[in-house]
Amino acid sequence: MVDFIQNCLDGVMVGSSYALLAIGFTLIFGVMRRLNLSYGPSIMLGAFVGTLVYLEFQMGGFAVAVATVIGAVLAGIYVERLCFWAIRQGAAVASMVSSFAIWMQLEEIVTVFFPERTYPFPPLADRTAIEIGPFFLKLENLIMFACAAGLTVLLQVLLYRTRFGLALRAVSENPRAARFMGINIGRVTFWAFALASALGGVAAYLIIGTDAQITPLFGLWATFKGLIAMMLGGMGSIPGAILGGLLLGVVEAQSTWYLGTEYRDLAAYALLFLFLVFRPGGLMGQVAAERERAALRRV
Amino acid sequence: MDPYLVSVLSNIGMISFIALSAYLLLLTGEISFGQQAYFAISAYGSGIATAMWGWPFWAGLLWGATLAGLAATLVAIPTLRLRGLYFSIATLAFAEMVRLVFEIFTYQVEIDGELVGPDGSDGFRDIRYIYDSNVTAFEYMLVIYGLLALVLIGFFVLERARLGSVFRMIGEDPMLTEMQGLNATAYKVLAAAMAGVIAGIGGGLYAHLTTYVEPKIFNVMLGVHSLAYGLIGGLGTALGPLLGVGIDIGFLESIRAISGYRMIVFGGLVAVLLIIRPRGILDEATVHWLRRRWRRWIHAQD
Repeated sequence: MVDFIQNCLDGVMVGSSYALLAIGFTLIFGVMRRLNLSYGPSIMLGAFVGTLVYLEFQMGGFAVAVATVIGAVLAGIYVERLCFWAIRQGAAVASMVSSFAIWMQLEEIVTVFFPERTYPFPPLADRTAIEIGPFFLKLENLIMFACAAGLTVLLQVLLYRTRFGLALRAVSENPRAARFMGINIGRVTFWAFALASALGGVAAYLIIGTDAQITPLFGLWATFKGLIAMMLGGMGSIPGAILGGLLLGVVEAQSTWYLGTEYRDLAAYALLFLFLVFRPGGLMGQVAAERERAALRRV
Repeated sequence: MDPYLVSVLSNIGMISFIALSAYLLLLTGEISFGQQAYFAISAYGSGIATAMWGWPFWAGLLWGATLAGLAATLVAIPTLRLRGLYFSIATLAFAEMVRLVFEIFTYQVEIDGELVGPDGSDGFRDIRYIYDSNVTAFEYMLVIYGLLALVLIGFFVLERARLGSVFRMIGEDPMLTEMQGLNATAYKVLAAAMAGVIAGIGGGLYAHLTTYVEPKIFNVMLGVHSLAYGLIGGLGTALGPLLGVGIDIGFLESIRAISGYRMIVFGGLVAVLLIIRPRGILDEATVHWLRRRWRRWIHAQD
């Protein structure tokens, strides 16, 4: 039982980083209804800008974090302009394949400038463990969890208390109606992308900081963890993205402990597959999915 | 022929099968990230048949393709109820599950004092049927292209037959198809099964050419690439995906001089191409135009 709870704690801690990635994914998907496969690689590029600042100018944590976020936002804007803004609304598949081509491009750019397998990254905290009764918590995981929680609250304020948030929600609910209300969809999409990339940048800083090293494979990893967590939670739902991320973290921690490392990803994908078959709306998106299905039945 | 050229052409041929399989599903409007799963299932299945059970090559290939088709049907039945992106992610999840199972899957028998068979993440060595029967690389390339030609003929017949029209109609508007009294889901399952068999032929050919398969070849990159080929080359004709494969593998091989920057150039090119032509180079309108020109030219000759 102690093991089980310890795994849950570890899972929630790791899951909070998945949740951040999933929120970025879900923001973009909610606004565009198109999938950005380049999301992971663009924040990976940002993290390498951070590494550059760390290695070249010997700057500390905060400067690296800022550089990572700036790099991620710039890469994200590049992707948005090339793969989403320039391709007309109807061609969702073309956007997705285009974002995949840009993924390959970003990965190659990084490997040209950083040919080694791994590079150091400023660690988030020294490796101390905090003991609470029979349970252990790592300090860096606690920081990650706190940052994720804080960012979620900030995002919630931004989405529900500002004009921009209102516009963003309007666009994701019904783009045409939003346009009739005088909302500039292109601009909202652009800023949603920038916001998602900034969130991704913070997530990348926190995740890579826990490992204290970075590889170009981070892009692939981030895209798939974010995607799975988003799908588990329900596409386009922010509370869903958080729950999905935490669930993914817990399932991975439990399956690693009880079945072994080689079963970790298998369990995650099996869970995703079962969710898609039996509950395609995910944890939180079920209402929207049901509504859509009911509408189709009526037609 | 130059052995290097033969190996490049063989590669193009084999990858064309998986690109065609993703293309067939694209016709029905479904985006699959997971065709590599059927490629993998057949690569292992046919490899096990020839290397471990001593089956002849053609029987092994048939067996692998059948297995792939069966797996595709079984996956299609629960997942094709899902719409759009949900289906894409479900295929992705299934393909990754297949890859991860092959990472664990071990099944070996002793043949001539040596252990043969899939060995988890170490892969499956010694699928030596082609080499043991003294088939040269050139002859094997002819086998690949012969089968590819058969599949292409199948596609051309399909385009002219009612089934092809139904597939394209489902891709345009599934609801309208249902209103014509056609069962769109059943047709989609059929398309998925056919796509599985096509990917399976490619997988069986692949395993016997390289003599060695390992799970990590069948990762999601292969799946997304094969999807991209159809979209780069064009969705108007089955030659589209082949053009896509030719551009990717042929082009990348021919500009080795700028190796290290290839994906930077190629990724940018593809992105720009998709802005200009969101349905690929040979899209429906272009194919239609070409056909008209061709007919007019034929008439002018008379």
